[in-house]
Amino acid sequence: MMAPRTEAAGDGAPGPASASSPPGGPASTAAPAPVAPAAGGRRSPRPDRAAWFFLGPFLALFLFAFVLPIGYAVYQSLLKVERHGPLGLGKPTVGFAGLENYALALQQADFVESFGRVLLFGIVQVPVMLLLALVLALLLDQLADRWAGLLRASYFLPYGIPGVIATILWGFLYVPGISPITEALGSASPEFLSYDNMLWSVANIVVWEFAGYNMLIIVAQLKSIPQELYEAARIDGAGPWQTALRIKIPLVRPALVLTCVFSIIGTMQLFAEPLVMRVLSPAVTANYTPNLSAYNDAFANANVYLAAAKAVLLALVACALSFGFLSLVTRKERRGR
Amino acid sequence: MPVRRKVLAWGAAAAAAPALAACGESAGAARLTRQAPRRKGQKTRLVFWTWVPLQKAVALWNRKRPDIHVEVQIVPANTQGGYQKMHSSLKAGSPPDLAQIEYYALPEFMLVNGLTNLSEHGGDKLKDSYVDWQWKQGVFGGELFAMPQGSGPMGFYYRKDLFERWDIEVPRTWDEFRRAAVKVKKRGAGAHICAFPPNNAMWYAAFPWQRGAQWIRSEGDTWLVDIDSEASLEVADFWDGLLRDKLLAVMPDTQSAWYKAVQSGQLVSWPAAQWGDALLRGNAPGTKGKWRVTTLPQWEAGDNASANWGGSSTAILQGTQHPAEALEFAHWLNTDPESIDLLVAAGYGWPAARIDLKDTALGKPDPFFGGQRYNEVFQESDSHVDTSWKWAPTTIQSFEHIKDAFGRATAGNGSITGAMKDVQGRVVDDLKAKGLKVRSA
Repeated sequence: MMAPRTEAAGDGAPGPASASSPPGGPASTAAPAPVAPAAGGRRSPRPDRAAWFFLGPFLALFLFAFVLPIGYAVYQSLLKVERHGPLGLGKPTVGFAGLENYALALQQADFVESFGRVLLFGIVQVPVMLLLALVLALLLDQLADRWAGLLRASYFLPYGIPGVIATILWGFLYVPGISPITEALGSASPEFLSYDNMLWSVANIVVWEFAGYNMLIIVAQLKSIPQELYEAARIDGAGPWQTALRIKIPLVRPALVLTCVFSIIGTMQLFAEPLVMRVLSPAVTANYTPNLSAYNDAFANANVYLAAAKAVLLALVACALSFGFLSLVTRKERRGR
Repeated sequence: MPVRRKVLAWGAAAAAAPALAACGESAGAARLTRQAPRRKGQKTRLVFWTWVPLQKAVALWNRKRPDIHVEVQIVPANTQGGYQKMHSSLKAGSPPDLAQIEYYALPEFMLVNGLTNLSEHGGDKLKDSYVDWQWKQGVFGGELFAMPQGSGPMGFYYRKDLFERWDIEVPRTWDEFRRAAVKVKKRGAGAHICAFPPNNAMWYAAFPWQRGAQWIRSEGDTWLVDIDSEASLEVADFWDGLLRDKLLAVMPDTQSAWYKAVQSGQLVSWPAAQWGDALLRGNAPGTKGKWRVTTLPQWEAGDNASANWGGSSTAILQGTQHPAEALEFAHWLNTDPESIDLLVAAGYGWPAARIDLKDTALGKPDPFFGGQRYNEVFQESDSHVDTSWKWAPTTIQSFEHIKDAFGRATAGNGSITGAMKDVQGRVVDDLKAKGLKVRSA
């Protein structure tokens, strides 16, 4: 299945892209580099040949692992199976469908609703997670180095656990009859797996998984703040609270923007957690999230072409949302200057 | 510049490769079955995907036939991931040689051209070894596409000790079942007669089946969907009543919470298939000797109607290079008496082979069931299964709809009756979307 990127929440498996942001590497995560506006002015008219040499491997991989799958998915989304013979059990052939699959997908109320569900999920879960990540990062920044390292590692640990495993683990804490939580709370225990609570039970898992990861990006940005600023603040009589509010938080803004974009993309792709929870509770329907809906079509319904159309639609929405968010944030930035 | 051009050329080549591959887009399996020549002394290796731990039977085969080595790979059960995996392996052109596929899923695999035509490899000759209706589950358009493995005639497992302690009679009809459910709830301090698993459409289907409903039929070249028939709704109404009065525990079955409730006596009966014995024995060993088996409660007093839950074939997937060897193994696996005994112990279900109960492990008294020769119940049940019940080629998708609708109903948002009416429309739409001729019955 095609998917734009696999950072941040939702995908579960730590992808190669996330592995490339080294823990605590201030330089690499200091700014959302890919989206920075093009530097104008002093640029040589012809790019260096050496640049192509270094870019080559990346471009090849990018084409092969990113552009091509998208192209293939778009191509597949334009096809359909035609059936022949008695009861349709004869040899099937593949025909051109035009935009039929897209129309079909958009006619499915369950599929359209699933976008609303992940949006609601994202509106609540992303701010909660990022706030938690920010608070943890600020606390760690305040701590002595020895403890900070240990705590940072332990906060980051959940990210190392694959999403499926994490969900199974949390599943045991949610299922009544097995869960020590429901047992301890007795009749006061919420029904974690009910229709009303399921989305937030999943949100809890995602927060648990990714708060530490996002914290790490924010910590890296905090480390890159020049010490002189702190000194100046101290001379001006700022306490730790004021330093945090007036200096640290405004200066980690780029990191917050970056983690927020990752989280938006991850939220749209929400998949592994609901898939596992579906076994435990019927509150997770077959079309709970757009990704799950595409999966259901591809494998339960054996219609990869419709699934491809849904995946393309999902990618478009994720793209629109993340770029929309970025332009919103940068417009404010421009106005502020 | 040459470097740049080279990079672009490489990029273009990389881009072209999958695009060229895509030109050969096929509707079904990416690879077709072709018999590889077999040289003397050469070892054939077969891969077999199943979710039942039948390694012992396969080990026996591997000892007996060192020239055809079978490797068992355990996959997630059916719709929990197993079929998904099989469909994608077919599409990708890397399928296993053999796979366990339940009868209801066979039409779905037929629809994507995913099964090897076994008639072309001499499969028809083996017909007489199998129970007729099970054989027919793998026959499409007069040709054989899957070897029958086993079925799941339904029975009624119950905790004899608890029924006696609470002075409850074992129900003979569904009305009596309801009365027993009331008593269990009253006398059992938190216990329920059984669970209603909203996730298990297959389990539920056994009851309309027993009532004589038919969810799908074919008429000429048209599929007739009849999920909201009178008989089907009558059954739905019965379960609605039990749920409304909170006489059942609502939880997914054969999951950890369900097993715990079975172990602790919170669930005291289970209308289930013959292969349920292995699940009880394996997951609730502490209840040994307390269980008994009797016939399924009846809709009409004095009847002996039965139904089937589960039922698997050993299918040979499209794309194998060793269909003849795979067929030979599948036939041995499902008919060899020693193999059958090992399969039964592994919970593979009621054999599809014609057997004499007395000659197999199935006919022995079982200490888990207090020394009862419980399989006699299932043998009786098996002979009363209405074998005209059929499955649609979109059954897996239908099960997803039922699961979703039952989930809403059991959460107090709708009813089982409403679910049946809702699913009726969805199944018609599914079949239509597949390009099949369909109408509501």
